[in-house]
Amino acid sequence: MTNDLMLLMPLIIVGAGAILLMIASTYDKFTHELAAYGSAGVFAVAFLVQLSSCIAGNVAPFSEVFNGILVVSNFSKAAGLIILACGCFTALSSQTYFRRNNFCSPEYYSLTAFAAAGMLLLTMAQELISVFIALEIMSLAIYILVGYDRKNVISTEAVLKYLMLGAFAGAFFVMGSALVYGAAGSTKFVKIGQYLAANGMLHSPVMIGGAFFIMVAFLFKAAAFPFHAWVVDVYDGASVPVTGYMATALKTAIFAVFANFLVIDGALQHKWITFLFYISVLTMFVGNLIAIGQQSLKRMLAASGIVHSGYLLIALVAVGTKDFTGSVIAFYLAAYAASTLGIFTALSYLGGTGEARKTFDDFKGLAKARPYSAAAISIFLLSMAGIPPTAGFMGKFYIITSAIDAGQITLAVLGIVSSIISMWYYLRLIIAMYFHEASEQFDEPAPSSLAPVCTFILVLCVFAISLYPIAV
Amino acid sequence: MEQSVNYLGLIPLFPLLGAVLIGLLHVFTCNRTKLPEKVYGILACVGPVLSFVMALKVFVALKGLPPESRFLVHKAFTWFSVGDLHINMGFLADPLSCLMLLFVTFIGSLIHIYSIGYMGGDKNYGKFFAYMNLFLGSMLVLVLGDGPVVMFVGWEGVGLCSYLLISFYSEDRSNVLAGNKAFIVNRVGDLGFVLGMSFLFWAIGAQGFDYLSLKAHVNDPAMTQGVLLTVCLLLFVGATGKSAQIPLYVWLPDAMAGPTPVSALIHAATMVTAGVYMVARFSFLYAEVALAGSIVAWVGILTALLAAIFGMFQEDIKKVLAYSTVSQLGYMFAGVGVAAYSAGIFHVFTHAFFKALLFLGAGSVIYALHHEQNIWKMGGLKNKMPKTYVTMVIGALALAGCPPFSGFFSKDEILYSALATGHFGIWAVGVLVAGMTAYYTFRMIFVVFHGEPRDHHAYEHAQESPAVMTVPLIILAVGALFAGLLNLPAIFGGDQIVSHWLAPSVTEHHPHAGVFIEILAIGASVVAFAIGIKIAYAKFGKGAPEPSFTGFADFAYHKFYVDELYDKVIVQPYKAIGSSIWKVIEPNVTDAPVKGVARLYMVLGTAFKVFQVGYVRVYALYMVLGLSLMSLLLSQSLN
Repeated sequence: MTNDLMLLMPLIIVGAGAILLMIASTYDKFTHELAAYGSAGVFAVAFLVQLSSCIAGNVAPFSEVFNGILVVSNFSKAAGLIILACGCFTALSSQTYFRRNNFCSPEYYSLTAFAAAGMLLLTMAQELISVFIALEIMSLAIYILVGYDRKNVISTEAVLKYLMLGAFAGAFFVMGSALVYGAAGSTKFVKIGQYLAANGMLHSPVMIGGAFFIMVAFLFKAAAFPFHAWVVDVYDGASVPVTGYMATALKTAIFAVFANFLVIDGALQHKWITFLFYISVLTMFVGNLIAIGQQSLKRMLAASGIVHSGYLLIALVAVGTKDFTGSVIAFYLAAYAASTLGIFTALSYLGGTGEARKTFDDFKGLAKARPYSAAAISIFLLSMAGIPPTAGFMGKFYIITSAIDAGQITLAVLGIVSSIISMWYYLRLIIAMYFHEASEQFDEPAPSSLAPVCTFILVLCVFAISLYPIAV
Repeated sequence: MEQSVNYLGLIPLFPLLGAVLIGLLHVFTCNRTKLPEKVYGILACVGPVLSFVMALKVFVALKGLPPESRFLVHKAFTWFSVGDLHINMGFLADPLSCLMLLFVTFIGSLIHIYSIGYMGGDKNYGKFFAYMNLFLGSMLVLVLGDGPVVMFVGWEGVGLCSYLLISFYSEDRSNVLAGNKAFIVNRVGDLGFVLGMSFLFWAIGAQGFDYLSLKAHVNDPAMTQGVLLTVCLLLFVGATGKSAQIPLYVWLPDAMAGPTPVSALIHAATMVTAGVYMVARFSFLYAEVALAGSIVAWVGILTALLAAIFGMFQEDIKKVLAYSTVSQLGYMFAGVGVAAYSAGIFHVFTHAFFKALLFLGAGSVIYALHHEQNIWKMGGLKNKMPKTYVTMVIGALALAGCPPFSGFFSKDEILYSALATGHFGIWAVGVLVAGMTAYYTFRMIFVVFHGEPRDHHAYEHAQESPAVMTVPLIILAVGALFAGLLNLPAIFGGDQIVSHWLAPSVTEHHPHAGVFIEILAIGASVVAFAIGIKIAYAKFGKGAPEPSFTGFADFAYHKFYVDELYDKVIVQPYKAIGSSIWKVIEPNVTDAPVKGVARLYMVLGTAFKVFQVGYVRVYALYMVLGLSLMSLLLSQSLN
């Protein structure tokens, strides 16, 4: 029991923290700066607890407590670590961001914590209804965060699009769950697995359809082709820290549950391989093409997020169902989260009032004006592009290796090709920063050192993660 | 046989850590408040001095062992393993590396101390010492490495540092070009070294790629005479680059562009001695093929002759010394070439003292005359700078080979070995060069210190350098005087301590040619020295006007136009090929498809922007369309 409680502790801390922050928000004296420190503290504590249980290394399936609804594995623990770290960095960079942009209130930080609680639940959920609830806890909080700047038209438009399309995808999920329940007679992953093992996939069209609908919902949240279209507009409309949070923590949670769902049983993943193959290739290349055409940095990063979903889908194609550990996926998510969050953290103090600086041209000459920031951004970009010795390189290396091991040579080659194409837009920013003169004077960045410090820590993470060895 | 210890790695580590620390301090303070110079000076000297202390410890440890088992090894960690190749970051101290270690750290420390004074007021004071420490640390890695690969790390390290330090005054373009030249010429040599190393690995590397394993397998059937000769010659190409021998000697005179302490470090303790050390290190290979040795010896002695000819006509005080170094290195190679490895290394050892002394002395003169280097603008300085004068004369006597100064014994040992092993040609040229050395060395001393001052303004302002510079001079002068006595040959009642010390490390056979040959060798050297100094005194002793060169002298003053020849034959065609590739092939052949692909993606990317219309209904439509297509695909794949 105590053991189960320990494993659940991060979720409890974040959930309780979210509620407390919400209550505290009603007091006038509780400023949003205080809320920022508070939520960062909550995330940090939860992170440390999660870390300690990771080090302790005991995996308990909650067999008595939750009756198989929630399962903690090393994979879910790793995903939880990434989510909590993202939450902490987001809270800190938001503090800096809101020194220059004044539409913040303390509830903002409460909502990031609620979203994190949903994500943590999502990584552990092994039952369709729980997945849906977790998904909705997360999504509702994120919807509000995206539209937090109510006076901003773009932001409002973004949240409207996201909400409508999200509801659309949510409907698919519920429909799919119903069909799967109809076929298997249970919503628990274990039971569905047993059903599949006994009957096979082909005998039940209802099962096929249901699983397919559920997957559509996941693909939507993961921004895979052809459900990617919302990403660019929504990422662009949300404020910088929220975009960073969505791009990293949310994606981590989604891929965690997606992987958990796929490995229910060999039959499920195996049947989808061809299907996932095309989706991942199209996701990578369509994402690349969208990214190439962008002028705005945020939109480019949104599109590059689509491409990274494509790489993660490669890893999903290549997962071995027999001994699934998720290490490759978790490693890539960690590497990707560190670099992406790094860029968004840097943008949150470089962006200026009302995010005035947003196109590639606006960053010309940054290397002269702010050499350390430019160097940090370059490192993050190189990591995203997959240049050694950064974490991004190792992440791609593991993914490509696992694809080759699984016999997916074509997919591995296409992944490499895609990553070469992606240099286009990553290097473009580096060139703008280093090889062009500034067209106008750089204004002072936001008067707080939290985001710069976070940026520095994330630079260290980018290198440190690349040194962390995993067994493929 | 060998003994494992755990402190050898510390010796290079001290200066390397110093380099990192000083470098970081410099980087973080150079644009803001500057740290006082004292901080850098003290930090810079700590590493080399600690290394020297550790070197003494190594010496004592080796001394305590029986001669045939004087090998200390330290395997710090496995650096990398690829297939059969397991390379340890390992260090080996045997009598040979210990001797190198002692004088490299000792002279290196003195040069660091001297630099505190010489570099005073320079705006990149910290950077200078960071490089110097890195330089010394790399040299120590080179000396202590337990195999060719670790040696190569140090080998490249000194190459890099020489580049950084030669172009240290980087505001002046010619200095940067000199640094480039040194680096590029060295790269040519490095290629030889890498190829030689690869051949060696290919032949016998599988059973362990450190010196002791290689030595044990040198008689394997895989090591045929052909392979041995190839390996020896390729390694020697590396040595000609680093140690400035024909045909790659051209970088060393230009390397004078760096600050004078750097020249002293390059010429005395680090860098140029690396080639000689390497040949002695691989003596077990060279001993197997006589032809390789002969080639090494002849290249060495011809370099000695050529450099001596150039040295007689130079007007820059540092260039005179530079050519004297090239010439003395030639002697060293002649020594190791005729299989007298201990004689060659002993000359490295004595040369380190007197050449460091001469360079630091020259630095002292240059410092006093506010960076004037032309000897024809000096003169009569012996009254103004007595300490510098006396110490420089001691250095000059040692260089010229006057008994009983250190240079005499070591040079005589080489010439005697050449004679005793039947290399009469090498011996004869060597004696001739000895005379020329005496001539140009004392030409420099007489012109700089004797006679009337030629530039009265500079003369009036000249004064003796501070103690931080003169004390190292005096210490080095003592070394230049007495270092030779360490290897006193039997004919003078000595017992050749250095040769016996080195015996376990190098594969050599001491020739016994009899007293007559020995006296002949000594006599010829002394006579050559006397004649050389006599001519120099006759021409310059009483002061002389600046000569104008004609004929052969002019040809030699321009260094036989070798630089120009290299430029015409190698550099310009190379540049022409490069620029034709850049101007013709690259834009038309390679760039066209690259740019085409880029343009294609640009167009596709712009096209895809069309789909991002921004209407929710359209996005929802995409989803439905995608869903339908996917369902279709699904039904296909399931059937």
